[in-house]
Amino acid sequence: MRALGKGSLASIIKVVLDIAWVVLWVAAGCLALGVVCYLGVVAAIQFGALSPEVLESSSRTVEVGPVTVETRSEDRLVFHVVAPALLSAAVAVGGALVILWRLKHLFKNFTSGEPFSRDNASHLRVIWIAMLVMELSRYAIAAAVALFVAIFGQPERTTIEVDAPVNFMTWCAIFVLIVLAEVFREGARLKEEQELTI
Amino acid sequence: MAIRVTLDRILLERRMSLTDLSERVGVTLANLSILKTGKAKAIRFSTLNALCRVLECQPGELLSFEPSEDDAELEGADQVAE
Repeated sequence: MRALGKGSLASIIKVVLDIAWVVLWVAAGCLALGVVCYLGVVAAIQFGALSPEVLESSSRTVEVGPVTVETRSEDRLVFHVVAPALLSAAVAVGGALVILWRLKHLFKNFTSGEPFSRDNASHLRVIWIAMLVMELSRYAIAAAVALFVAIFGQPERTTIEVDAPVNFMTWCAIFVLIVLAEVFREGARLKEEQELTI
Repeated sequence: MAIRVTLDRILLERRMSLTDLSERVGVTLANLSILKTGKAKAIRFSTLNALCRVLECQPGELLSFEPSEDDAELEGADQVAE
């Protein structure tokens, strides 16, 4: 089976990416709905229409992305956790949308049989930048959870654990993509030069 | 680019059109146009050979060197390095 061109492996991957694109937009819609619902419940509690107990969590352990928060106090975890959780989900879905959008264009070009173009180099560059932002946001979210607990909760009665502080696979993928982006840029330059060689 | 292709002057001297040259050399009109307008990045020896054969000239007659501002800067950088 061919890797590039019509009816190739690239065209099959492009179809899969198109499906993933739709699924991701549904996830983004659900996230937006979740934010609206949460804000609505908070507003209803403020106006006395709902009891604050609605937002109480029965669990004392909550996972927010890479962070696990465990409390031994009577505090509600909800407030400390919801904001970072929503931020974590927004970064994950937003980053995935950017990456998928660029991948779709990348594989569209692969399907048309033109791998070496400046556009493809740009797509790869945006993908590694998005991955870098998503990875760095893991640390930012861990810091945000700790900050929220320190300000609004009882830090002495709370344990925060960060899962896999350094994700080697992600960092490897980022470095590989950095190199690949430059390889594609050089390939595009050579192709342009070859086209202008008479 | 400091290298200029003087194809238009030689064609004028030979009273030959670009279309005639294209047919006799076997290079497309579009590519010859790129060469004539100075947009080409490189020229193959085979193309140069065919052009010289048809136009009955030397490669030096087809190409000329006219230093640009970039070349002056490069020369200055070379002198600093020495």
